Amino acid sequence: MQEFAIDVQGVTKSFGRIKALDQVSLRVGTGEIYGLIGPNGSGKTTLIRMLIGLVAPDTGTVTVLGQRMPDVGILSSIGYMTQAAALYPDLSVLENVRFFAAINDAEQGVDDALKLVELYERRGSPVATLSGGMRTRCSLACALVHGPKLLLLDEPTVGIDPQLRRQLWDAFARLAGQGTTIVVSSHVMDEAERTQRLGLILFGRLVAEGTATELKRKAGTDNLEEAFLRLAREVAA
Amino acid sequence: MNPRRVLAITRRLLSQFRRDRRTLALFFVVPIVVLSLLYFLVRGSGQHPAVGVINQDSGPLGGAIATQLLKSDRVRASEMTEERADAGLHDGSLAAYIVLPADFSSRALQGHVIAPEVHLEGSQPGPSGTVLQALSQSLAAAASSASAPGVASVRLEPKISYLYGGPDFDTLDYFGAAFIGLFVFFLVFIITSVAFLRERSQGTLERLMASPLRRGEIVLGYMIGFGVLALLQAAEVLVFSLYVLKVHNSGNVFLIFLVEALMAIAAVNLGIFLSTFARSEFEAVQFIPLVIVPQVLLSGIIFPVSSEPQWLQYVSNVLPLTFAVNGMRDIMVRGQDLTAAALQLNVGVIFGFCGLVILLGATTLRRRLA
Repeated sequence: MQEFAIDVQGVTKSFGRIKALDQVSLRVGTGEIYGLIGPNGSGKTTLIRMLIGLVAPDTGTVTVLGQRMPDVGILSSIGYMTQAAALYPDLSVLENVRFFAAINDAEQGVDDALKLVELYERRGSPVATLSGGMRTRCSLACALVHGPKLLLLDEPTVGIDPQLRRQLWDAFARLAGQGTTIVVSSHVMDEAERTQRLGLILFGRLVAEGTATELKRKAGTDNLEEAFLRLAREVAA
Repeated sequence: MNPRRVLAITRRLLSQFRRDRRTLALFFVVPIVVLSLLYFLVRGSGQHPAVGVINQDSGPLGGAIATQLLKSDRVRASEMTEERADAGLHDGSLAAYIVLPADFSSRALQGHVIAPEVHLEGSQPGPSGTVLQALSQSLAAAASSASAPGVASVRLEPKISYLYGGPDFDTLDYFGAAFIGLFVFFLVFIITSVAFLRERSQGTLERLMASPLRRGEIVLGYMIGFGVLALLQAAEVLVFSLYVLKVHNSGNVFLIFLVEALMAIAAVNLGIFLSTFARSEFEAVQFIPLVIVPQVLLSGIIFPVSSEPQWLQYVSNVLPLTFAVNGMRDIMVRGQDLTAAALQLNVGVIFGFCGLVILLGATTLRRRLA
């Protein structure tokens, strides 16, 4: 097993005149929960899409699970959950999860995935009839049904109530305990506290990295949200 | 009712419309294009059915009628040998030929029966009727002229033979063959564009791209899925047309399915390809007037390509639907199989078009490495 699940070196990416990522380098260890925090439009989604090979860097290298990205072969080891719950609304929960299992050759994981997100009882319901939170959980089940070694979650808890958010983070922690590496982007600070390491992205640059405690100490405050704002202000200045 | 609130809605709609350049263009350009096409198809048709005239009559009457036929403004008649005329009928360059037999004049004078042989191509009801009208007009004109005395009281009893179809062959038989093919193409194209667009807009395409699925697998999966649907629909349409509406079919049903399957494949991939250029289902629906309507008008379904002005024929002859319509008629009206050169060409072109759109569809699906 390679030491780092993710190894990003000096990556830059521009869309036209807008620099989405600027000299970003980061490493995520196997089994680690890594949080990407930053305001909307800071480059979090671009970075995550780059990790799965949907976006190629202009310069720099992206290595995931030992493979230079983009690499189609490694995709069966990665689970990807997009910002919006990308599902087939007319299909049932079970049919959705089963479809994403089938395209990953992993039909045996369907029941476990449904139980993990606590949708097993609702598996027959069409996705269109589910609440927003249930859709997000269904989307998560689709992302992890094939037992990926790396889980990329782009703002998975947007629009989800605190109770459910806690449940999801408990699930993430369990998965990480089983050796799954998780990269999760967020701008909700209380959940950022539950990651093992945080990277703060601002204007496409990774401006600070460390545990929540380290970042708070660096900013000289015991509130992560305050730390986030102070660090952001330092960068802007 | 508050007029300011009503106007707010009106103004908002017009502003949205002004920003939407494509809808704007569609809204004002399409009616003009479609009406112009109709104008050229209906009024501009300089071409009249081509008719061969073979005068073998030893008497004066045959010559008189032949002269009138050659002068007729309903048909383009020309004198030729029976051999050449027969070949022309088979290759589609003639709509009919008329033989005035050797004993034509004498039988007319003695038996008071005028019996020209009329050989009709028969696959299109329109030209057949025009040819018969031209013949009776020519007879009337010949009768009133001095060159054929005593003809006024005779009966016209043409001996009509049909290369394809027959006297019962009507407009539905002619349209039916083409429409059966059109349904598959049109409906499969629409459902694929919308299905694929949804895949894009609901974000599942992004997920598919982030999965081990390969482009070819996505395209092939779509092709098989909608292909099965298309063939079920084809079976339903065919059974209804042949057994309930009793549309004429002299060809092999499996060949019809082959052409329909090819058209379904073409339609699926055209849908995938064109869905790249639409951002919403609303925009996808706009492909109907852009892609479907001109093809329906120009592919010879309603107006025969041969009766179009020459420059429009060039357009028609590059539209894939033209070849599909011809292919369906080759099979159902003319009873051709794959040994016939005409059907080989038509099926070959549809096959080539399938290849082209598969390539286009798969290319636009490229992992968007921007």
